[in-house]
Formats: sequence, structure tokens, C-alpha cells
Amino acid sequence: MKLSFTREQILTPLQKVTGAVEKRQTMPILANILLEQNEGFLQITGTDLEIELVARTDIAIRDSLRVTIPARKLFDICKNLQDGSEINVTVKEDRVTLISGRSRFVLASLPANDFPSLEEISADITFTVKQNVLKNLIERTAFAMAQQDVRYYLNGMLLEIRGDTLRAIATDGHRLAMTDSDSVPGLVDGKQVIVPRKGVLELQRLLEDSEEEAKVSFGSNHICVEFSGLRYTSKLIDGRFPDYERVMPASAGTAVTTDRLGLRQSLTRTSILSNEKYRGVRLVLSDNMLKIQTQNPDKEEAEEEVEVEYDGEEMEVAFNVNYLLDALNAIDSDKVQIIVTDANSSCLIRDQKVEQSKYVIMPMRL
Amino acid sequence: MLRKIIHIDMDAFFASVEQRDNPQLREKAVIVGGRPDSRGVVAACSYEARRFGVHSAMPCATAYRICPHAVFVMPRFEVYREVSRQIHELFSEFSDLVEPLSLDEAFLDVTNSSRWLGSATLMAKEIKTRIRMATNLTASAGVSYNKFLAKIASDMDKPDGLYIITPEQGEEFVEKLPVGRFFGVGKVTEAKMHKLGLRTGADIKGWTEDQLVEYFGKAGHFFHRIVRGIDDRPVSNQRQRKSISKETTFATDLTDYDKMMEVLLQLAEQVSGSLQKKQLCAKTLTIKVKYADFSQVTRSLVLPRAEQEIHRIEQQISRLLDRTDAGFRPVRLLGIGVSQLDAQEGGETPDPQQILI
Repeated sequence: MKLSFTREQILTPLQKVTGAVEKRQTMPILANILLEQNEGFLQITGTDLEIELVARTDIAIRDSLRVTIPARKLFDICKNLQDGSEINVTVKEDRVTLISGRSRFVLASLPANDFPSLEEISADITFTVKQNVLKNLIERTAFAMAQQDVRYYLNGMLLEIRGDTLRAIATDGHRLAMTDSDSVPGLVDGKQVIVPRKGVLELQRLLEDSEEEAKVSFGSNHICVEFSGLRYTSKLIDGRFPDYERVMPASAGTAVTTDRLGLRQSLTRTSILSNEKYRGVRLVLSDNMLKIQTQNPDKEEAEEEVEVEYDGEEMEVAFNVNYLLDALNAIDSDKVQIIVTDANSSCLIRDQKVEQSKYVIMPMRL
Repeated sequence: MLRKIIHIDMDAFFASVEQRDNPQLREKAVIVGGRPDSRGVVAACSYEARRFGVHSAMPCATAYRICPHAVFVMPRFEVYREVSRQIHELFSEFSDLVEPLSLDEAFLDVTNSSRWLGSATLMAKEIKTRIRMATNLTASAGVSYNKFLAKIASDMDKPDGLYIITPEQGEEFVEKLPVGRFFGVGKVTEAKMHKLGLRTGADIKGWTEDQLVEYFGKAGHFFHRIVRGIDDRPVSNQRQRKSISKETTFATDLTDYDKMMEVLLQLAEQVSGSLQKKQLCAKTLTIKVKYADFSQVTRSLVLPRAEQEIHRIEQQISRLLDRTDAGFRPVRLLGIGVSQLDAQEGGETPDPQQILI
């Protein structure tokens, strides 16, 4: 069996698929990717049993082909060949030979029949959404996902169809991020899925900032997204996501409105002298004035004054500065609004005009 | 230098006090604790009751079944405390180094005492006589050159006993001792040792220290030394409390999760009170759940920062309760405890604390 292509033809699909391949695997074959012929073209599949990525290439092949090759090595070889190199592949028993110019590589293959494939997904709901809409939704929310929390259902992102919008929610128990998409035609209300952390980050990496459509399917155990010649499938987390509506602060509370970048810079500077482990900053509010104070265990301290619009009572409340910065970074408007209630209640951070993204952060006791 | 250590242990303490104060109870099986139809446990029992197999910590209902003619008496802790105060005062005449273990038990290091020309045996005898004169109760004494052997000795000749284990006898004595009698060996470790073919001190002696540590962790070091009759633990009159806990048994089994949380929070409030009184903060939180079938589990976690107001960390408590079958199986007892106690950091600011959603 022979196959040939240029470095550029294989590199992009290979790079996409290799993302699913874990550096350390439980099964040797998971270090490999599957190359096969599908409708006359070469198709590449990688999986870690949680996520499966299938990339269609524009590399035509006539013969049937099904072979597995170590993913990382193949990618590194192709990447390090010269631009425009032609690569010829020969498969003979369990050896795969790559020849390009004066270079020759012989790789070990594993039986293609042992390559695991995710079970066929039975879609409950299928809809299309612009890639940049989906990417934006994830980017504005993903940072709040928990990591290796015993509450396994928090180690992922809830995607929910509400009316004709798609909503993403993530929380680690200290803060919560929620973003709504613009209206997406053809949505059916009520369905929700929890996509595991790695699956979310992988999808975020793969989605392009383009107006091109992605076809999304929610099954009972899987989510599948098809876009740019790629089919992404991830298992879902089987669990009940907490009732996030309850976390949203009630309308009581007073708004602090200020310049987003200015606030971000002040927080970044003062945080230098916050406790490195707990990262607490104290926000002291008075008439149109916000004081940001930090102090570390060595009794070093910082204070900055920021002009804000605020007409509520004088109050003090402390937060983990990382959570504030994460939220401020996820918003892209010039002005930002922080709704505060008291020292023991969460604050709500949002864009001043659009209400698409909301960030709830629980305070700290300093 | 070899030490001289006396271990004093009152005989069937609570039950003896009851028999002393109520002549009708003398020479009868007396059980101090809850009522026989209650779900309490035996706090103490007289020797007459022990003959039937009753022992402390046994459920009262069981005690009643095996010893139906026993007289059940409610404990009078005020009285016991008074007696305890009397005997501890007496101990202080013999040594400055007295380590109270409970109301009725203490170690005395009499190495530097010149009474009776320094004879620990004669001192123990005098303590016993003085206790009898002052309280009309008997105690058993063990005399040896370390705490472990002194405690074993006091148990050898009960009641009203006096037993001496000399430095020459020590090692041989420990060799013959069943492993279950070793300090730090409970039911679980005993079973494990038996499985490994360790039945007596001599068996343990056949193992290297490394082997013991491999199988029993830190305790392995202790076992290695103890079977050679070596126990350097000092008698300390400033014993640090290592843990504080409260538990309660229900009149009827609980099945409702929220109710259990309510009970745990009430117990937690009591624990907080004890911590506050002693000006301590705790770093580890443990809950104990005993199911209706008497099987029992404990769950613990290390708190993100040392806490004194245990009842305020509701979320941590419920996280622990979530790790049990609470809500799915009926529960007869709930307990909450704290350990890794540290002095309250006076003036120092406590660690910041992230409030949870």
C-alpha cells in the first residue's frame, strides 16, 4: 500500500487530531492515530477514549487503507521536514516507512482493528451555530470550571439550550461564569449537557474565529461537533449540575461602575503584595471611590485608589484577586459593572451594556 | 537512669462509688449507664456484673439480656469528679510528675521521690491505703520502670491489686504478653497481627524494625522498642489534649439527612465551646456515623485553616456526611470531633478563607 502527500497537506489535520492523544496512555494503541481511506480521501482519527477527533484531509487515495501510527512521532517528523516536502508512505505488515527526499523513517504500527472507536452517537438534538459564537461562549466561561473536584460534575461545562439561545455555565464552587449566545435559529428548548473539562478546552482550541457554521449534536452520552473538515466527539459527564440560578445574587445590591482596563491594572499591581497563597484583595467602597488594599504575611502592603461610580453605603469586601482578574479578562467592553451587597455575599461582574456574560464571585474572609 | 513509675487505676470506679453510697447495691451486679430499655451504653459495671460478661461500652440492652438481674444506675458525674479530685490531690503528695489519664487513672513518676527510701512498691502500697482511708474505695497499682509496663502491671492483680514488674523481668514479661494487650493495638490491629502470625511479644520481637514499620507505619517503631521492654514516653503533667469530640445516640434511628445535619451542627456547637474554653483551634474534622446495624464509619478531612467555630463550617460537615450512607441507611449514632489542635493564635491574623457558593 502506497500513499503520498505534501507536508502541508498532512500537517494541519495531524496537529488537530494529535491534541486528543494523551502524552501518557493507559493503552499503548492510544498513542497512535488511525489513518484510513474514507470515500477516496485520507481520514485521520485520534482518541483518548473520552474525546475522539476525526479529520478529513484532501489527500486522495485509491486503495483501501487502515493503519495506526504513533501520533507524536509522525507529527514531529512531518513538522521538521522542509516546507513543501513530498512524503511517501509504504505500509508493510507492522512497519510503516516514510520517505521524503533523502530522509527515511520506519515506524512501528499496531493492529488497526484494536483501535478503539467511540460508540455511534444517537443525536437527540442537532443544530448549527457559527464557530465564533461557540468559541466565544467557551472562552468567556471555561476558566471557571473546577479541576479535579470530588464533585465530578463541576469538572466540566454545562451547555444548555434556553429558548433560542445557547448558554454556557461553569463553576468551581468559589465563582461561577455564565454566558448566553445571541439567538441561534433552530434551537429546541430544554436540553442540557455537561462536557468534561478536557473536552471543553480541546473544543476551544479547535474552533476557529470564523463565521463558518459548526453542526452540533447532543446525544444522551456524547456531544458531537462537526466543523472545518473535523468531527469532534466527547463523552458527557453523567451528573446533575447544581442549580446555578440560585447562585445569582438577587437584584438588591449596589453597582460599582468603572473603567475595565484601569481596574484590571490596579488589581494586578496591588496583587503583587497580596498573600501569595490566598491572593486576597480588600475592596473598600465609599462615595465614588474604590480603594484596593493588599497585605502579605511579611506585612508588606499596597493600596490604590480607583475612581468609580458608586453611591451606596460605605463597605468593605475581599475577594481572591485571580477570580476578579479572570472575570475582567473575559469581558471585552470598556466599562464594567460590579454589583456588591455586603462582605459575606457574592458580587456579580458584568459588561455594563450587554448582559450576555455574568460572573459571580464569592468573597473571602481576610 | 531507670525510672520508677506507678500506675494507679480505681477498681470499677463508677460502680464502686455507687455501691459505697448505697449499701443495698453491695455484692450485686451494678451497671452504671443508661436504662436497660434505652440505647445508651454501659459506662461502668461492678465485678459482680463483669462475671456475666458485661463490660463498659456495651449497649445497655445487651447488658440487660446477659445479666437481667443487674441493677441499672444513672451515673452521678458530680460525685465521681469529687472523688477524682481527692485522689489526684493525694497523688500530688508523692510526685510533681503526675499524668492524669481519666477521672480514675493516673501515672506517677516517683523516680525522684525520697519517701520510703525511694521504694516505689512501698509508695504504691501507701497510695492504695490512703485512697481507701480517704474514699472508702479500692484501687489497683502497677509499678515498673516505664509507662507501658506500669499500666500492664496495674491490670494484673485487679481488684485491690499491687503488681511489680522489675527491670529484670520486663523483657521476658513483654515476650509472653498477647499482642492485644499492647498499647495502641485495638481490635483491627490485633486481627492484622494474628493474620501475620504475631500472637505474643516474642513473635513481634522476631521481626525487624523495618518490617514492623512497613506493616504498621509509625507504630512499628514503638512496637519494636516496646517488645524489648523499652518505652521512653515521659510522664507528663502537661498532657496536651489531642482531640475533642461529642457524640449522641438517638432514641430512634434517624433516616432524614437534614435532621442529621441539624444534630451534627448542635454537636459541633458543643465542640466549638470546648475549643473556645481551652483557646484551641483545630485543623482536622472528623465525623462518626454508626448505622442501625452497629457498623460504624468515620470520615475526616483537613480544614483549609485551623478553626475554632466548628459549627460555622457547615459545608465541610456536610461534605463529610455526604461521604457516608447517611440518608440511605438508618443511623443510630452521630459524632463529630476535631484533632490536630493548636493554640489559638493570639493577635496573629488567621488565614484568609474563601467563602463557598
